[in-house]
Amino acid sequence: MAVSPPSESGALSLQAALSALAGLLVTLIWAFTGFGVFWPGWVWLGLGAALGVHVVIRRGLNPAPEPHRALRIQGEASALLVGIEVVAWALSGFGEFWPIWTTLALGTGYAAHVLILRQRPARREAQLEERVDELTRTRRGALDVQAAELRRIERDLHDGAQARLVALSMRLGRAEEKLADQPEVAELVRQAREEAGSAIAELRDLARGIAPPVLADRGLAAAVEGLGRRAQIPVAVETDVGDRPPPVVETAAYFVAAEALTNSAKHGKGSPALVRVEREDDTLVVEVSDKGPGGADPAGSGLLGLRQRVQALDGRFTVVSPPGEGTTVRAELPCGS
Amino acid sequence: MRVVIAEDLALLREGIVALLREAGIDVVAQAEDGEGLLRIIGGHKPDVAIVDVRLPPGFTDEGLRAALEARKRQPQLGVLILSAYVEPVYTSELLASSGEGGIGYLLKERVGDVRGFLDALERVAEGGTALDRAVVSELMHARDGGGALAQLTPREREVLELMAEGRTNAAIARAMVVQPGAVEKHISSIFSKLDLPAGDDHHRRVLAVLAYLREG
Repeated sequence: MAVSPPSESGALSLQAALSALAGLLVTLIWAFTGFGVFWPGWVWLGLGAALGVHVVIRRGLNPAPEPHRALRIQGEASALLVGIEVVAWALSGFGEFWPIWTTLALGTGYAAHVLILRQRPARREAQLEERVDELTRTRRGALDVQAAELRRIERDLHDGAQARLVALSMRLGRAEEKLADQPEVAELVRQAREEAGSAIAELRDLARGIAPPVLADRGLAAAVEGLGRRAQIPVAVETDVGDRPPPVVETAAYFVAAEALTNSAKHGKGSPALVRVEREDDTLVVEVSDKGPGGADPAGSGLLGLRQRVQALDGRFTVVSPPGEGTTVRAELPCGS
Repeated sequence: MRVVIAEDLALLREGIVALLREAGIDVVAQAEDGEGLLRIIGGHKPDVAIVDVRLPPGFTDEGLRAALEARKRQPQLGVLILSAYVEPVYTSELLASSGEGGIGYLLKERVGDVRGFLDALERVAEGGTALDRAVVSELMHARDGGGALAQLTPREREVLELMAEGRTNAAIARAMVVQPGAVEKHISSIFSKLDLPAGDDHHRRVLAVLAYLREG
């Protein structure tokens, strides 16, 4: 339900109050001038009509999404018009009931609108449903392909560039041994070997960042267990994963746990963290909580990235972090294909 | 020293063989996968097997599994694992595995440091331990916050790390540029602070330190 800004609803109240005042005023004038023909009724009608128009417009502009908004607006505007005419008919002495014609015309228009809506949505909704199904399926397919592709890249890095650098480093090491009598050259070779070592370390971090190998090797429970041991704070890990979820879900769950633990270690003031990874029916739940100072910014880049990762899988991502009460990061990932 | 190697990438396998040969160490057999490793250790009775964690056919952790199996079949066999990654799950499986032979876990790039690598290999062959310093620093991190480690002086901490890598007292003294006697003093102080059983056997003391770190 959208709430109108106070200034606008204030405008409506003001108009109502002024209208009531004006109505009272003209009625008093009518009374003091000797109770003749009851002409203030027409003033009331005008004021009431203006108020009614205001209300209808206001409701028409309500930004909250709703089905059949146009139909509602049409109905309300028609009702207002008929109401004004009936009052006018009553004020002019209850003669022939002429507002019937307007009522009939507006009623026909409304009925036609209802009929059109009844026919169309069936088709459109079916189309939309089909489209949503298709998009969900293809998006999941694309993500699965992407996950498989990332694991392939990780393997290529391992067997390709990384292996070559290791081989290079071995050759340099052997050269170094043979240059014992030329310490200056040996030193240069040692430096070259160390640079190869740095390149290997950088490749390793890169590969781990795209698809941690233990995840592919041993699955989520072992990988999260490893995260817990690697963390710089005490971490308790509870896992009950059951059948292995699809790779893309495993990877997302792993990165949620990894990033949340990094955050806990960074901002949790050394407070221990608890990681829970559990399968609840067809949903994989990952929850990382600490008893640190709380107050995490859900829009921070790390948490935002996780949210996007989880939402891309139609999952739910929540961060609860009241100041002083610790932080809980929770992701619910559907595992169905 | 009789060594076998299980490594699927010829480039690396040949590199290691050449390096060992130059150091006068005999590579008696080579394998390309886990099954091959189990076959050659049966026939050649090596002192040490150098094994890549990731081997065919699955390219996951077949090497580690085969090495653990090899250790079970031949408890005296020393196992030196080479990996592109430090993975706590793997190192703790290795440390927890049964067997009397030495164990080692090194990042592959350490092989380039020929002397360090040969030193590690020798320790494993003698029934000792050779853990990569990255493995040790992860163990230390995981144990931090527990309290007792915080009581160590920076020097003692350094000694503890070198010990956890499996280095001998003499090697620790060399690395820290101090007298062996000073190292011995640090070690006894560490053992009393961490409440570990002090013994004379260096290898047992290393295992005690590792057991302590792994409890974290």
